[in-house]
Order: sequence, then structure tokens, then C-alpha cells
Amino acid sequence: MAATDDVADLAPDERAALEALLFRMADDEFVLAERYTEWQVRAPTLESDLALANIAQDELGHARLWYDALQGLGYSEPELVWERNPADFRHSILVELPFTGGDWADPIVRSYLYDEAEHLRLQALEDAPVRALADPIGKVQREEEYHREHAQSWLERLCDDAEGREAVEAAVGRLFGPALTLFVPGEHEATVERMGLRSESLADQREQWLDVVVPFLGSLGVEVPFGPEEDVDDLLPERVGRDGNHTDDWPALHEELTRTYRELGRSDARRLRGERRE
Amino acid sequence: MSVVSETHETACPYPDYEDGEDVSDLPATGADATGVEARVWDALRDVEDPEMPVSIVDLGLIYGVRVTDGVATVEMTLTYTGCPARQYLLDEVEDAAASAEGVSEAAVSLVWRPEWTVEMVTEDGRAALREFGVSI
Repeated sequence: MAATDDVADLAPDERAALEALLFRMADDEFVLAERYTEWQVRAPTLESDLALANIAQDELGHARLWYDALQGLGYSEPELVWERNPADFRHSILVELPFTGGDWADPIVRSYLYDEAEHLRLQALEDAPVRALADPIGKVQREEEYHREHAQSWLERLCDDAEGREAVEAAVGRLFGPALTLFVPGEHEATVERMGLRSESLADQREQWLDVVVPFLGSLGVEVPFGPEEDVDDLLPERVGRDGNHTDDWPALHEELTRTYRELGRSDARRLRGERRE
Repeated sequence: MSVVSETHETACPYPDYEDGEDVSDLPATGADATGVEARVWDALRDVEDPEMPVSIVDLGLIYGVRVTDGVATVEMTLTYTGCPARQYLLDEVEDAAASAEGVSEAAVSLVWRPEWTVEMVTEDGRAALREFGVSI
């Protein structure tokens, strides 16, 4: 498929595949940003507050980019975010899980597992033959770079003593399975592959991710929750999010993040967004 | 944006604006533009960054201006994807372009490639930033 500016040229199944890919990315970033904001003024230091708030802002900015691309396919912001049925969201369950109260290791481990996966996902899209997908990648990767550094340096610090290492290992034990859902294919996967949108398949990305995160955690003395002879797929949760089947925590979070919009009513929300026209 | 403060302490080192891809034809400043396109560039020069008193043209945010049959198309970028003044800035740019004589309609297209880097700030922009208190 040649590079195209005009998504109108896409066949219906190709268009559906592109949309599905964008929804996965946008929803992951949007929901993760929402969760990160829960840590504001609760992180262990002011610097950490700022760092996590900043990371949340980055992720919201990236969510907006991918929702922009979907607007280019004919959707409006209310349809994409505020009025969409929660069951139509396609994020991985990793990003919707509530934090374990007061456990700083949780957002750090979550960010580490997520951002390493996101790095691979974006890398695989750099040469996608659709400009709306490929063009922002460089900018996004550059902004993402410090997310990984932030998570890695915190993991190193936390694992400096036994108590911290135990908290990290417990978080890894809880979050490793949910993180695997990041790589679960959606229903349009075959078309995504045929269109050559990704240079690496999800299965290959998962292998690469395991080759990065398992040795790194190991180097910190943190054991992953599966042995060398065990099948990592055994950790995959029953609900993966990618097919719209979410955990019980999602409807409540969705309710909360759309509450202001619903209370304001459509016209006020539109006015507040400063929209000039329909 | 990430810049080095006047005391030459290293400010927050991220994001790293070095080594972007080849942008030899940027910054675009409209220096070679004529007629109605030159008037659009002039109007855009009056739009300032919401955080700093520097023209968005001198900041290097405008990648191109085209006017065809009275319809102006402005291609621009932002320094940061999470820019909280995005809509404000796009509206300002659209209004400015539409205000140029000979323009009946204006549209702004937001692009992310090539990535904006600090290298895209013009000499005038650097002077304005220094005046404001950031050394660049």
C-alpha cells in the first residue's frame, strides 16, 4: 500500500482496521492519563508529583493526537470520548486497574511495563503508509523517552532495599498479566497486517518486550511471576479490554471521567470547548 | 518549552530538541512571499505565543502559507503535543490569516512532521526570547 494522505481511498475493511488501531492507542493513553492524575499531590515527593502530572499531560496530548486522527475519519470529540459507550473502549485492562492504595511501586511498575510496550508499538508504526499514523510518531517518541527513564530510575531506587524490592515484586506479580493484554490482537488484526501498518507484529513486539523487561527486572533482583519453563500465556487474564470486555473497575472510572460533561449538558460543554461551529 | 535559563543553569533537559530530521527549508518566515500570501505572513507575525511575547512566526511554528482563490491554508506545528492552548492558538492563526486583505476564508492545518526543534526559532525570535529572559 502506498503512502496516502487521503483515508477516503481506503476500502471499508481497511478503514475499519485503521480505526481499530487508533482506538487502541488513543484509549490506552487517555485512560492511563486519567489514572495517573489520581497520584497528583499524593506522590512521595513534590518532584514526583510534578513528574507524574507531566507524564499524564503527555499521555493526554498523545491521546488527543490519535483522537484527532479519528476525527479525520469523521468522528467528533463527543462521539470519541464523552458520549461513547464504555463497552466500545478498546484500551488494555492494564491502564484501567485502580491503584493499590498508597503503593507508589504500582504506578512506577505500571508505567515501566506500559512505556516499554508503547516504545515498541510506536517504533513499529514509524513507516506506516498512513500519514495520520506515521507523522506524529517522531514527536511522540521524543516526549516518551523520559517516561521510560523516569520509571527505570525509580525502579532502581525502589529496589535498593528489601522493602522496596518486595513492593516492586508484588506490583509486578499483579500487573504482569494485565500488561500482556497490551499485545492481544483485535478483530481487525489480519487487515492491519495485510495493510502493512506495522513493521512488527504484535506477537513479535511481545517477544521483544519480554526480552527487555524480564532481564531488567531480574537485574534488580525482582522475579517475574512465571518460571523459565512456564508458558507466559497462562498469566493472561480472562478479560483483556481489547475486545471491549473490561474489568468491573472500568464502568466506574468511565462514569467519573464523563461526569462533568454529562452534568453540563451538550451545549455548555461545546461552548466551554470554544467550538466555533458544529 | 525547554530552554537554558539566563543564569546558564541547565533547565529541565527534556524534551530533547536536538537532532531532528533535515529541516533545511525551515524556519519558514514568508520572506519570499508576495501579494496576498505576504499579507497573510504579516498578519501571522502579530500572533504571539500565549506564554512568551514572541511571534509564532519567529518561533518557527508556521511551516507554510498558501492562498488559492482567496482561500488561505496555513500549515503549522506546536512545540508540545500536550499544549493546553492549542485551540486558542489555532483560532488566533485562523482569524489572523482571514484578516489579510484578499483572503475570504482561512483554514489551519496542524502537522507534526517535521518535528519542531529549537533550531527553528529565527534570529528575531531568539532576540525576543532573550529580551523576555530566556537565553537561547
